[in-house]
Amino acid sequence: MSKKDKVVRSSSGTEIRKKPLGLRIWNNRGYYLMFLPVLIFVLIIYYWPMLGIRWAFYDYKPVGAKIFVGLKHFQTMFSTPAFKTAFFNTLELSIMKLLITTFTAVLVSVFLNEMGNLFAKKTLQTIIYLPHFMSWAVVASIFSLFLSPSATGLVNNILLDMGVFDSSKEFIYFLASKAWWRPIFYLINIWKETGWGTIIFLATLSGINPELYEAADIDGASRMQKIKYVTLPALANTIIIVLILNLAKVMNMFESVFVLYNNAVYDVSDVISTYIYRQTFAIALPNYGYSTAVGLFKSLVGCVLVIICNYASKKVRGRGII
Amino acid sequence: MAEMKKVAYRKPKKHVHAFDVVNYIVFIIIGLLVLIPIWKVVADSFNAVGVYQFQLWPSHPTLDGYRTILETSKLYRPFINSFITTILGTVLGLVLSTLGGYVLTRTEMPGRNALSYFLLFTMIFSGGMIPEYLVMKQLGLVNNMWILVVKHGMNVYNLVLMRNFFEGIPVSLFEAAEIDGCSPMGIFFKIVLPLSKAALASIGLMYAVTVWNDYSTVKIYITDPDQVNFQYQLRNMIMDGDTPTTSYAVSQNTLYYAGIVCAILPFMIAYPFLQKYFVKGVNIGAVKE
Repeated sequence: MSKKDKVVRSSSGTEIRKKPLGLRIWNNRGYYLMFLPVLIFVLIIYYWPMLGIRWAFYDYKPVGAKIFVGLKHFQTMFSTPAFKTAFFNTLELSIMKLLITTFTAVLVSVFLNEMGNLFAKKTLQTIIYLPHFMSWAVVASIFSLFLSPSATGLVNNILLDMGVFDSSKEFIYFLASKAWWRPIFYLINIWKETGWGTIIFLATLSGINPELYEAADIDGASRMQKIKYVTLPALANTIIIVLILNLAKVMNMFESVFVLYNNAVYDVSDVISTYIYRQTFAIALPNYGYSTAVGLFKSLVGCVLVIICNYASKKVRGRGII
Repeated sequence: MAEMKKVAYRKPKKHVHAFDVVNYIVFIIIGLLVLIPIWKVVADSFNAVGVYQFQLWPSHPTLDGYRTILETSKLYRPFINSFITTILGTVLGLVLSTLGGYVLTRTEMPGRNALSYFLLFTMIFSGGMIPEYLVMKQLGLVNNMWILVVKHGMNVYNLVLMRNFFEGIPVSLFEAAEIDGCSPMGIFFKIVLPLSKAALASIGLMYAVTVWNDYSTVKIYITDPDQVNFQYQLRNMIMDGDTPTTSYAVSQNTLYYAGIVCAILPFMIAYPFLQKYFVKGVNIGAVKE
């Protein structure tokens, strides 16, 4: 260490010699070089598109000049019923999905935790995690085949065999029915994600001090009482964290709806991202300006949600979500 | 203390509780509810009969579904595309997230915080689907399966997970290596990576699952049938009626179910062996400490 080094006092009062900035940068040159590929990718994939946000204020069609139009697209957006439907559907579908799958995951974890036989418990965990690894495209394909109103549709034919339907004329086209689409959507989500959702709760439960259960035993508590007074309170914090973490992603709902919806059920299923997709890729002459504006609105709402959830997370567990 | 506890606490007598019986029955039902749809898909993929039968074993066994996939280029090409993009995407993802994650653990490096914020900002705000599409178009990635590699090759969340993991490696190891004259790259390859095999497996799997399972990116960016991946082709075939013509008769449903089995096969085979790595990925992210 040379005499030129800056002298800094640490909190404990010992002297720390800090080298000059230029030297520290030079010493770390290898690390900057290692970061370079990451930097380039992040710039191209994340930051370059941010420059494109300016098109939200332009008329931008695949052919013709780009014309500045100010806030026109936002005015159009807020007066379009289809946009409003998509916005409220996004909130309703994602929040309901979040609450339902969290509830089922907690329920399953609590009772899985009561299972004494370790082998049975592990086997069940393996089974219920399985659907998480299937893509939404596969899950949608499976359920559309099972729910199809044709001679090969499993569900409709079982209902026919059970006598719920008198003939195949009464078959329900579940995925194209406004009454059925949402319940089916939630059920598919439960099937796919409940198991995976239990991981974090089971990890919390394995950390509960067994003495708490022993104490409850001494007090003569029944199994259900132990669940109510020991297990569930221990989970409360984790449940809140899971809700907060996922609330931040509410606006992101896309693929799960994208693979399952169809034009018969737009009213109950269309979300912002699918709306943007259709406004751009499913119409003859798209205005990129308009879909960018809708996307910008989505990003801004998402951004506010992340900041709120980050703040909430800091309050609850002392560290943020990002 | 231990002695006293033993006296004070006596385990309740062992006998079968009604609670346990009900609990086991409920969980057998839950397990079946998850498994039966998957099992039914596998069974029907081997069944030549196209109409509904509630049976869990193929009544007319056939391999025609799988044969069709192997012989129809419109089906096996997307499968190969899926394979290539998944491998490349995983490799790129691992390279970038380990490099980035490692550099971000260097506390004494000037500008480290700025770089962290530079990455974290992308988790808060994004350009959105359309500006992204326009950029990729300029890069020539529209109608090109490389889009899957590029788009998933850099995931900030996974990079942060990697950094969290690297932070657990004792600093003294790095210091010792530096004193021995090891270069940053040398430390990375000789110390960091060998100590992080489990994290590499977990995060590599996360990348692989994401790329393999992606449907919407293909739907947005690719229209050329030579460039699509298997998930896209599968859903198009089953839900949009885009069934390729085959040289011989195979029941539509047999083909559909065989396609689904092929789409889930790689991870279903790997899953029982790698389950702990799959699960670990969640836990390093969520319940750190």
